[in-house]
Amino acid sequence: MLSKLKANTAVEVLNIVHDIFSFIGRKSRIQAIAILIVGLSVSPIHAQEDKSSSNSSDLQLHGFISQGLIDVDGSDFVNDDGSLSTELTELGLNASYQLTNKLRLAGQVVYLDGGNRYAQGARVDYALIDWSAFTNENWQANIYLGRFKNNHWLYSSSRDIPFARPSIILPQSVYFDGFRDIAVGSDGIASKISYSSDDYGNFDWQISYGSSPISDEQTTNILSELALGTAEQDYDAQTSLYWQPAFSSWRFGISLLDAGFTYDSVGQSNGDYFFDADFAFQFYTVNALYEGETWEFSGELYQQRFTIDDFYFPGFELDNVGQGFYLQSRYKLTGKMTLLARYEDFYLNKDDKDGKVLEQTTGTPYYFGFHKDITLGLNYDVTSNFSARMEYHWVKGAGRLTPVVVPNIIINDSEDWEMWAVQLMYWF
Amino acid sequence: MTHPQVAERSLTKSQLRRIYTMRQLRWSDNSAINVFVLPNQHVLHQRFAKERLQIFPYQLNRIWHKLTYSGLGVAPTIVESERALIQAVKQTPGSIGYIEDITLKKIQQEHRKTVAEMATSSQKVSVMEKEQKGRSKGVVNVVKIKG
Repeated sequence: MLSKLKANTAVEVLNIVHDIFSFIGRKSRIQAIAILIVGLSVSPIHAQEDKSSSNSSDLQLHGFISQGLIDVDGSDFVNDDGSLSTELTELGLNASYQLTNKLRLAGQVVYLDGGNRYAQGARVDYALIDWSAFTNENWQANIYLGRFKNNHWLYSSSRDIPFARPSIILPQSVYFDGFRDIAVGSDGIASKISYSSDDYGNFDWQISYGSSPISDEQTTNILSELALGTAEQDYDAQTSLYWQPAFSSWRFGISLLDAGFTYDSVGQSNGDYFFDADFAFQFYTVNALYEGETWEFSGELYQQRFTIDDFYFPGFELDNVGQGFYLQSRYKLTGKMTLLARYEDFYLNKDDKDGKVLEQTTGTPYYFGFHKDITLGLNYDVTSNFSARMEYHWVKGAGRLTPVVVPNIIINDSEDWEMWAVQLMYWF
Repeated sequence: MTHPQVAERSLTKSQLRRIYTMRQLRWSDNSAINVFVLPNQHVLHQRFAKERLQIFPYQLNRIWHKLTYSGLGVAPTIVESERALIQAVKQTPGSIGYIEDITLKKIQQEHRKTVAEMATSSQKVSVMEKEQKGRSKGVVNVVKIKG
């Protein structure tokens, strides 16, 4: 029975893939879909095997397909020429296999195309061994080894999962797409300890240590096209604690992050504009979430500290403390339709909220010092696993556009810019 | 309802809630719990979530999506119909699922009918009863929810 259902799902997915992409003739996209199809065609075979095994849920296969349209007016957020874009593709396929009572293997491959937002292409989103070190009625302790996702912020683990995040484009001050590949997860070790009781509620404590590889495209996105050297993340240490009081609609969280990076210049004689450098990034958040029957509220409040040693010239020092928050509300109009409203306010330097000092000292326009976004959106759940979404953003400021360190002031020549996006999503 | 080999005959509301939010993964005998559910928009799923678990279906979805698509854990297995859910629970050791009262009554009636038919169609009643006991392994347990 289950195997039949899985086989049907696979066929259904293939049909949808065909329908959505038959009119989009992009080579890379087709390659990504080919990987997905190969993966899916395997699923009925595995499902057959399940039938003979005593536990049908030892192997689980899931995935998602989404495609959208996005139009940005007034910035290089998605593309340089400002035209309507189909660069809003997110595909994923994951497997989870229960090896023994205590060990589980899990992995996910995603293909992302977001234009200038992040590097286009397929990547291993996570690939880990999950050791269930201890579990009883109230406690769970797990250790994850390998590549794991950042699970510390409200939407960090679901930022690439279109239907699991609140909007097509997330608040960029926390979920900055330019930092996506670094912030989305790490290669290393993580642990999660959960406690749940009727008296005190649910506690989730997480800690992780690791680093992320930084691609050349990512180096260009963050630093500049003129940076010919290599950037590396030395370490990324994070911890977070979430608490949901017993039988409460509220949940509260706190998270801390400390990361270090180095830049190895190829040298001025070889044409590199920059010098060897150290970067450090610290990020602290507190968040709250309320989930009611029709209303939902969430928000994150944060402070970051970014330091640069050298880079522009030996002896150069920068130490910026940025702050921000966003408040988000969702309202369930009907069982299938949800409205979204959000306000986000962020500035890169708390002592220069309007960017005037930035302009005076570096010549970079003042509006690169902040990012404010008003978002209105609509989500419609067509079925239990097919949704459509649309949203509009009114943005003030260029503080969350790439490249970060050496901004593109030619394309991003205005303080105000706008964008809208629509997206269809299917998952199984 | 649970698989017949599951030892628990009753669960508290909070135990049930922990099981469905994937915060309790093992039965009291340390065997793994296999959770089965209907699709999110299924009327019975919506009722079960709100009335029995006192959680809104969208909240369950979020918890499960996070586990499934971030590699953190495993979410319940979704089956398309009530019939399929009963089958899945019957066949999977350590499983738990839910059905309508009416469906449960129907199953019990059918079950009794079969027993009665078998009893009347044969003179060797005692042998048939023994056989029936053997067969009843395939039928699900009904778990009481307390508190």
